[in-house]
Amino acid sequence: MNSPDPNSAPAEERRPDLIPARMLNEYAYCPRLFHLEYVDGLFADSADTVEGRAVHRRTDEAEDSLPEAGPDEPPAVTRSITLSSDSLGLIAKIDLLETEGNAAVPVDTKRGRAPNLPEGAYESERVQLCAQGLLLQEHGFDCDHGFIYFAASRKRVRIEFTPDLGERTRSLLKEAREASGATAPPAPLVDSPKCPRCSLVGICLPDEVNHLKAVVEGVPPEPRRLVPARDDAVPVYLQGHGMSISKKGESIEIKGNGEMIQRVLLKDVSHLAIFGTNHLSVPVMQALAGRDVPITLFSEGGWFYGVLHGMGLKNVYLRRQQFRSSEDPQRCLDISRHIVAGKISNCRTLLMRNHGDPPRAALDALREHRDLALDAADIPALLGIEGNAARIYFAEFEGMLKPRGNGDGLSGFEFKNRNRRPPRDPVNAMLSLTYSLLAKDLTVILMSVGFDPFIGFYHQIRHGRPALALDLMEELRPLIGDSVVLTAINNGEVGKEDFLVSTAGCAFTEDGRKRFIQAYERRLDTLVTHPIFDYRVSYRRILEIQARLLGRYLEGEIVEYPPFMTR
Amino acid sequence: MRRRYVVTYDVRDPKRLRRTFKVMRNYGDHLQLSVFECLLTRSERILLEEELKKVIHEREDQVLFLDLGSAEGDELPRVTALGARYQPKTVRAVVL
Repeated sequence: MNSPDPNSAPAEERRPDLIPARMLNEYAYCPRLFHLEYVDGLFADSADTVEGRAVHRRTDEAEDSLPEAGPDEPPAVTRSITLSSDSLGLIAKIDLLETEGNAAVPVDTKRGRAPNLPEGAYESERVQLCAQGLLLQEHGFDCDHGFIYFAASRKRVRIEFTPDLGERTRSLLKEAREASGATAPPAPLVDSPKCPRCSLVGICLPDEVNHLKAVVEGVPPEPRRLVPARDDAVPVYLQGHGMSISKKGESIEIKGNGEMIQRVLLKDVSHLAIFGTNHLSVPVMQALAGRDVPITLFSEGGWFYGVLHGMGLKNVYLRRQQFRSSEDPQRCLDISRHIVAGKISNCRTLLMRNHGDPPRAALDALREHRDLALDAADIPALLGIEGNAARIYFAEFEGMLKPRGNGDGLSGFEFKNRNRRPPRDPVNAMLSLTYSLLAKDLTVILMSVGFDPFIGFYHQIRHGRPALALDLMEELRPLIGDSVVLTAINNGEVGKEDFLVSTAGCAFTEDGRKRFIQAYERRLDTLVTHPIFDYRVSYRRILEIQARLLGRYLEGEIVEYPPFMTR
Repeated sequence: MRRRYVVTYDVRDPKRLRRTFKVMRNYGDHLQLSVFECLLTRSERILLEEELKKVIHEREDQVLFLDLGSAEGDELPRVTALGARYQPKTVRAVVL
């Protein structure tokens, strides 16, 4: 392939040749939506888009060819015609076309109800139809009006192609062409009623971005919770022994000892996590890769060592921005300061909330370290501050383990210091596992957002380490990681009998690990109030929001990365 | 955000009946003869309806969707069972 690198061409050449009329509609609706879908290649389905495709499938049965224009041509109805024009730089798929003689009338199908407007339809829809009209004119027809058929109202609305509409269509086309050469998305709409139903609202984060911008510039608007509080799909963990996972229809079947253990519908799986040697069939890999559902791999001992995922490459500009920023020492320092300060703050909060008798000295020292972190001179200094803070924190960790009610004053678990690779006692084994799971979840989310999980800002690039996942994990270690361990111990969900201690270290029993992972998942599913945006979403959703906010910071939309800190 | 549906069907032709069963299996749990319990988002429901419309005969067959409410939260659906036990379907993290 001798074609030049398309990303190095100047802006004029980077633009595509033909803008689809459908994308013109999107641009008129929201320029940012146009950028995210058309330029970044991000697409998310909403119920509306799924329904839209279903409605169009009924009209799309076969593509016809364009009839001739001429004074004696008989009336004809043709469906699903694709027309394009190089001079206009436009391409469109016309759902239905009525022709007679020299005249042509396009009919565009929309899935919704006819809106209550004097013009009969929203501007973005009228512009899309007018674009079809322009193409028909280019192909020799007289075309001065069209119809939009609203499926839900079963109503046809006539749209006149007035000179004003034609002008507007041409000027939007020009703007869209310009916009398709941009590398950064335009700003989000402010407090718009269009946002709640937009299929990309969870990717765009309009209210969150506007809120963070406004915090710097003036009065912050109240963010609405536009993203769903929880994910619809869930992870599937296979951490037993000798299981095999195979595909049956649109579901996966998990068998052990030849017997069926459980069947899970593919539509319900967000990712698969496999521990140790269990068997995975290739059809399952294909099915999951096709749905962009990753498979994460853990060793027998719980070490996160691999990811299998499909080739869905998207959001390339974000990745480039990530690479560039990772080489900018100032950027790395800015992000790292916030990450470490966030972590220390959360450690302090956890001690305050859970320690039997919160030690004043340690709390003050942690506050000091948090402030030092925000002003750290460079990354090595930050590492030192973080290390000190961790020592202070873990020195008080045991005080958060509640004594058991059986009067001997012990929870049954001790914690003297943090040790790992391998962990030497149950509490350390739990900490290692919970951190490993958190790294897995962040890796999965970072990939789905479009980041490369291996290029970090605080953690240096090293073979086998998802540095960016480790970066974003820092402030969440206390809130999700340590908190899960405390809950599991203090609620008696795990006991001494769930661990095997030997000279080789401490490991979970299969049963104990199962219960621990369930406790971890429950924590991720818990709803929490976001300290900045004030709405309630699950911790898992928080992971995604933080990842996307990092993206917004790297793209220059917000001035600093806001770590997640609870009060 | 999922809703809980009981989907029941009456399909006159044996071949269509088998195809209907195969479609339903990809969306929910087989509860009883020609009865499935499904937890569906709006998008999934639309997709299921489209698949069923392709299989069933418009005049001879019938599929009913009974909406048992939101599947979020801890409320149990208003279903009582006589005979064998009934456990409402949930979509939670699976740990095996």
